[in-house]
Amino acid sequence: MTTTQYLLRLIAWRRGEFVKNCFAWTLFHLLPLTYALVIKAIFDTLSGRATIGLNPWTLIAILASAYVLRLGNFVWCFQLFSHYNYTLYAFLRRNLLDYLMTAGGARILPESPSGAVTRFRDDISDINLYIERWVDVWGNLAYSIFAIALLFWIDPVIAGLVCLPLFGGTLVIRLLQNNIRKFRLQWLEATSRVTDFIGEAFAAVQAVKVAGEEDAMTERLRVLGHERRKRAVIDVLLMEMIRAFNNGLVYVGIGLLLTGAAWKMGRGNSFSIGDLVVFIQILPRVTQVMTFIGGMMAQQKRAGVAIERLEKLLVNAPEGQIVNPAPLVLTGPLSSFVSSRPEGVRLETLEVVGLSFQYPGATAGIEGLNFSLRRGDFVVITGRIGSGKTTLLRVLLGLLPKTAGKVLWNGQQVEDLASFFRPPHSSYTAQIPRLFSETLGDNVLLGDTHDDHLLPALKYAAMETDLAALENGVGTMVGARGVKLSGGQVQRVSAARMFARGADLMIFDDLSSALDVATEKQLWQSLLSGPKTTCLVVSHRRPALLRATQILVLENGRLTARGTLNELLATCPEMRRIWDED
Amino acid sequence: MSNYISLLARYLRPHVLRVVLLCVCLFGAIGLTLFIPQTVRSFIDLATGGGGMNDLIRLALTYLGLTFLTQLLSAGSAYLSTDVGWRATNLLRADLFRQTLDLDMAYHKDRMPGEMIERVDGDVSSIFNFFAQFFIRISAAFLLVIGTLVMLWRENWLVGLSLTIFAICAIAVLHWRRGIAVGPTKQERELTARIFGFIEERLSGLDDIRANGAGRYVMHRFLELQRDWFAKATRANWLRGSIWFWTNLFFAIGYIMVLGLGVWLHLSGVVTLGTVYLFFSYMSMLESPLEQIASQLQEFQRSAAGINRVRELMNGPRTIVSGERTLARQPHSIEFEEVRFRYLEQDVLKGLSFFLKPEETLGLLGRTGSGKTTMIRLASRLYDPTGGRILIDGVDLRDAHLRDVRRSVALVTQDVHLFCGTIRDNLTFFNSSVSDECILEVLDELSLRSWIEELPEKLDTMLGPSGSGLSAGQSQLLAFGRAFLRDPGIVILDEPSSRIDPATERLVTRAVDRLLKDRTGIIIAHRLATVARVDKIMVLADGNIVEYGLREVLARDPDSRYSMLLRLSAEATNLDEQLEHIESVSLVEQVEII
Repeated sequence: MTTTQYLLRLIAWRRGEFVKNCFAWTLFHLLPLTYALVIKAIFDTLSGRATIGLNPWTLIAILASAYVLRLGNFVWCFQLFSHYNYTLYAFLRRNLLDYLMTAGGARILPESPSGAVTRFRDDISDINLYIERWVDVWGNLAYSIFAIALLFWIDPVIAGLVCLPLFGGTLVIRLLQNNIRKFRLQWLEATSRVTDFIGEAFAAVQAVKVAGEEDAMTERLRVLGHERRKRAVIDVLLMEMIRAFNNGLVYVGIGLLLTGAAWKMGRGNSFSIGDLVVFIQILPRVTQVMTFIGGMMAQQKRAGVAIERLEKLLVNAPEGQIVNPAPLVLTGPLSSFVSSRPEGVRLETLEVVGLSFQYPGATAGIEGLNFSLRRGDFVVITGRIGSGKTTLLRVLLGLLPKTAGKVLWNGQQVEDLASFFRPPHSSYTAQIPRLFSETLGDNVLLGDTHDDHLLPALKYAAMETDLAALENGVGTMVGARGVKLSGGQVQRVSAARMFARGADLMIFDDLSSALDVATEKQLWQSLLSGPKTTCLVVSHRRPALLRATQILVLENGRLTARGTLNELLATCPEMRRIWDED
Repeated sequence: MSNYISLLARYLRPHVLRVVLLCVCLFGAIGLTLFIPQTVRSFIDLATGGGGMNDLIRLALTYLGLTFLTQLLSAGSAYLSTDVGWRATNLLRADLFRQTLDLDMAYHKDRMPGEMIERVDGDVSSIFNFFAQFFIRISAAFLLVIGTLVMLWRENWLVGLSLTIFAICAIAVLHWRRGIAVGPTKQERELTARIFGFIEERLSGLDDIRANGAGRYVMHRFLELQRDWFAKATRANWLRGSIWFWTNLFFAIGYIMVLGLGVWLHLSGVVTLGTVYLFFSYMSMLESPLEQIASQLQEFQRSAAGINRVRELMNGPRTIVSGERTLARQPHSIEFEEVRFRYLEQDVLKGLSFFLKPEETLGLLGRTGSGKTTMIRLASRLYDPTGGRILIDGVDLRDAHLRDVRRSVALVTQDVHLFCGTIRDNLTFFNSSVSDECILEVLDELSLRSWIEELPEKLDTMLGPSGSGLSAGQSQLLAFGRAFLRDPGIVILDEPSSRIDPATERLVTRAVDRLLKDRTGIIIAHRLATVARVDKIMVLADGNIVEYGLREVLARDPDSRYSMLLRLSAEATNLDEQLEHIESVSLVEQVEII
């Protein structure tokens, strides 16, 4: 989809609001023309060349009303645009996040979370700024057209004399401005050289001190600062010259106007003082539409780049997901969340056949994995670091896209792993669990409205004593802006999260890495004393291996051994090594 | 405010001439701006009075000339203010940089480079912005406003008075309205931050969310957050927009007032038509500067914060003070006399004493946390001991001239910090007084000379940011190069413990040997092989010396820790663990003895 198509769809989403905004702002831009006309009338009346038979006081009253009208218009415009603009922000953000969070299929984020946030922030902003231009362009165009028409109506000769150089000059500046960018870039480079140097110097401060070369380093900073100053000054000079030239054009225009007016008035022609005043008033803004359109084209390019980047973020999304027109209600009452429990198929058997995945551009991954498990099994996946254990779980859960193989649940092939492997079928605890800036209870329940799931889940996760120690219990805020939990506590909260789902198959990765021996024992005990759940676990810990009904040994992404602990200890050297190391 | 002025004055003083020129341009531009409407007034009056075409054209040309001059002067003042601003703040920046480098290591060790950039460059830049933008612009704005009012008073006292009252009210009201927007704007910014924080958190936990079926819930929470944001953001936005509203309301009143007065005075025959236009023209000239004054008043607060932080940095902790005594250039002896070091309520070193003769080498062993790193930092005078003293050639480090200490004691650590610059710059720390011959000789010692000569730019080869472009091994050799260049009397070396490729490892081993030849040395070893070549061995544990003596003697003593280490493995992979093992064995032994 092209930028234009995106634009049209975005506008179509709230078409009424867009049109209202365009209308309101066009009025806003046009009203000042009425001021010029009224002031012309005032001066004409005072100089005895009145074309309208109103006395100056009436005219002043009309002017006052015009001001008032515009102020009222502004209030209307501003509220309209504020509402529309912020709605668009919320809309675009919602669409992006919704796809990432809920859409089926695997989802590897192409960027780090903080990189992705920059997309949310800057790219959406660029798109919105572009829409803003489309709201404003009509007013700008209308103003320029009407203004020039007015001037030509008053006196075509002088209008031509004055407008042409103005437009010509503005065009010249637009062409020059691209060259200016080069200088701006040089200045920015010089600045980053300074800041990089400062960063490096302080990172190496010990070495600098030991070498006693503080003076030499300071001299270097002076040199870099000198460079930066030169570039900054050139940049400012160029900007100033452009500004001066821009202003200069207007002044030249007025100068020509005065000359032309002088000539006309000298010959007793129909050019009045009022006319003069109108020209002086209108001239400065007559070319603003050109600048505006130039800016608009630049913004269009930026919006295009932004859309591309966002499309990249939404890997495999259907076209136009960014502008997906699902309804969004930002005001008015909001019903509270109701958790829905989709009907699931109870697990009897799970079979994995030839499951493979390779990280793009790398050799790491899993290859041709075959295994199966039955209801009630406790399957442990083990192997050394980098053998593919976590990858296997993630591919099974549909978090990574498989490149080959299939998964059968009760003999039926699962089409979309990501949509299937979630409650009630399975729940998951990651190797590095993440808690959110919510209450402890929220972090465990994550939307499950059955509050009675909360405390039993925490109990199974061996969190009772910790819970008692927290002042607000399950209402304690955790995460970045709350109470800082220890690594072990985070793991257990994450486990509670998994337990609370009440899923058939519990899948977890290295649950006990941050736990001390006693707590670990407690956790494993809970796991098996609770309702009979099937578990698929990644671990190298003895308690897990001892309790396993089946162990899968992975080496370099391949399944090299399968069996019970005793069988494997007897036959598999890798198993023995893993067992010994613990 | 007086703080600020004195700081500014000190750094502007070297550029007095430019500052004067700046003032001339500024005043000139303002003066001309005030005069130009008079030209138009004369034009109008002449035209309505039936003046001759030639006179009118002359006025038009005068107008053109004056406006041209004004633009020139205003461009000139912008240029000069930028130039002077950068010059002054560059001086300030260099001073601040130098003084900050001098601060104690205790200050530096907890700082992130990003923070330092913010303080040395960010804060100083905000001071510049203050000067070039705020100060100059506000002064110009004030002058313009006052000048305009004066011109108006000259024409007619009534108009002058009305507009003066108007101007004062405008500034007051606009400033007040801006203040009103501050709170809600802050709130909006927090809410926006909360939204992005939410997004980042949930994206980090994407796997947890998707595999636990919590996607819909997350979107519900997000909707709640966005609704909250929408309500507060639109309100804050309106408060900001209301500034425009009030500004334009005021100026509408101003224009009506001026036109009303003008019309009345003209109809009463007091002023000409041209003067009515003049009033109107001056009124419109007031718009921009009044807005500037109202909007810039809050910029002042931001810069005040910057100045305070700069002063704070300049007054930071600086306890390592140079002494007076000189040190000869020779391999030194080094002695620790009951050296203690206490940090954050903990005794890191609990009374170390030993003596190294010139040209002796010491191998220092100990687990993480035993005090080795602290010991070498004290030996290179990055910190001063809290008890006891350290002597080089019999001179207390604190009494020696710091310059000599720096020259005499070289410290090579595991982390090598390189700079974005040439290889030469990285070796000499940008010191241009070191000759290329010197550098190439040093590189010869390191067997790096041929490698350098093969590079197309040789010593001028640029390294990227943070010195990217060199392998880990090459960086380590460069660090040795820095030490060689100083020709120190004592070399203190924290051996690189991470594996480098075998070829470079050989070079590194050779470099260490060459560096230690004819010099006194202390090496923190991470492999026993390194320690095989030293004269003495010292084992530290928990801030105390638990073993110290000649290596050969200790090797032959079956009960010494050193010989136990030798027995534990020929190829020492994890010295730390082995020391731990020995430690626990020794403790057990001690207990058994008791």
